[in-house]
Amino acid sequence: MSNFAILKLEYSACVEALNEALRTEDEKAFFAAVDHIVHMREPGMFGELRKLTGDLQKALERFSVESKLADLAENEIPDARARLNHVISMTDEAAHQTLDLVEQSGPLAERTAKAAGTLIDMVNAYRAQTTGVQGFEGVARSIDAYVPVVRAVEAFLPAVRADSETIRRNLSDVLLAQGYQDLTGQIIRSVMKLVEELETALSDLSRLSGDVVEHATMGESSSRGHGPVVPGVTKGEVASGQTDVDALLSGLGM
Amino acid sequence: MSKDLKFLVVDDFSTMRRIIKNLLHDLGYPNVEEADDGKTALPMLQAGSFDFLITDWNMPGMPGLDLIKAVRADGKLAKMPVLMLTAEAKREQIIEAAQAGVNGYVIKPFTAETLKEKLDKILGPGK
Repeated sequence: MSNFAILKLEYSACVEALNEALRTEDEKAFFAAVDHIVHMREPGMFGELRKLTGDLQKALERFSVESKLADLAENEIPDARARLNHVISMTDEAAHQTLDLVEQSGPLAERTAKAAGTLIDMVNAYRAQTTGVQGFEGVARSIDAYVPVVRAVEAFLPAVRADSETIRRNLSDVLLAQGYQDLTGQIIRSVMKLVEELETALSDLSRLSGDVVEHATMGESSSRGHGPVVPGVTKGEVASGQTDVDALLSGLGM
Repeated sequence: MSKDLKFLVVDDFSTMRRIIKNLLHDLGYPNVEEADDGKTALPMLQAGSFDFLITDWNMPGMPGLDLIKAVRADGKLAKMPVLMLTAEAKREQIIEAAQAGVNGYVIKPFTAETLKEKLDKILGPGK
C-alpha cells in the first residue's frame, strides 16, 4: 500500500465526519472532527516542537554555563593564582621571621648557660680554697677570695635578666608569627570554593555536551615528583613515616 | 672528627634550606652552601669541593632525582654521599631513589634526630 493510500484510509473517516457536520450544521460535531484531525497530526508536529524547545533550552543553559566558565577563566582563576602566590609569600615571611627569632635566641641562651657554668666553677673553686681555713688570717683570706665571686654574680644577674627578657620577647614574636596559619587557611578555603565552582561548571558543560568525561590520568612523570602527600588525594602506596621508609630501604639492602 | 665537611643543600624553598642549614650547624657542620634546584646545584658540585649532598626531590628546573642521576653519572662526583630529604613518600619513588643511588632517604616533615641518625649512618663513626 502506498503512503498516500495509508493517509487516505486514516483520514477519510474524519473528513467524512467533518463533511457530515458541515452539512447538518452541527457545530459540536464539526469541532470534534477538527480536533480529531489535529490530534492525528500531533505526534509529528508537537514532537518536533518539543524537540525544538528542548534544543533551545539546552543551548541557553549551555550559554549560561559557558559564560560562567569564561568568567571563571578570565577573572577568578588569575585571582586564585594571585591569592595562592600570596599564601606562599606569607608562609615564607612567617617562616623566616620565626627562623630569625630562633637564630637570635639560641646564642643568648648559650651565653647564659656558659656564664652560669663559669660562675659554678668560681663557687666550687672558692669552696675548695676556703674549706678548713682557720683563724683570723683564714677568715681574711676567705673574704678576699669571696670578692671576685660576688662581683661575678653582680655582673651575671643583670645580664641574665636582659637575655631572658629578650628570649621571652622573641618567643612571643614566634607565637605571633604563627598567625599566618589562620590567614593562609582562609585564602586557601576561598580558592577551594572556586575550584568547586569550576568543577560544577565543567561537569555541567560535559553533561550538556553529552560527553562522558573519563577521569584523565595525569601524565605525571615520577622524575618530577608529586609533592607532599595529601590525605585522601594522593593515590598509590605511600610510606606512612620515616620508620616505613627505613624498613623499605633495608628490605632493598640499604 | 672531620666536622669541616662541606655540604651542599639543594631545595627550592629558602626556608627549608635555612632550617637544614641551622640543623647542620647545630650538629657541628658549619660549612654549608645552598642551591635552589638541580640545575644550579650541578655546576656548583662540579666546580666546588663538596663532601656531601642533601637534596629535595620536587623542584622546578632540574628535580632532585635527575640531579642524583647526573651526580652518579659524573666520574668525579659518582662516589659522593647523597641524602634525599623530601616530601615524596610513594613507595615506588623511594625504590626509584634507591635505584638512582641515594645513600639515605628522609621524608618531610622530619626531626633533627632523624637527620643526625642518617648523617651518622652515611658518614660512619668518627665523622
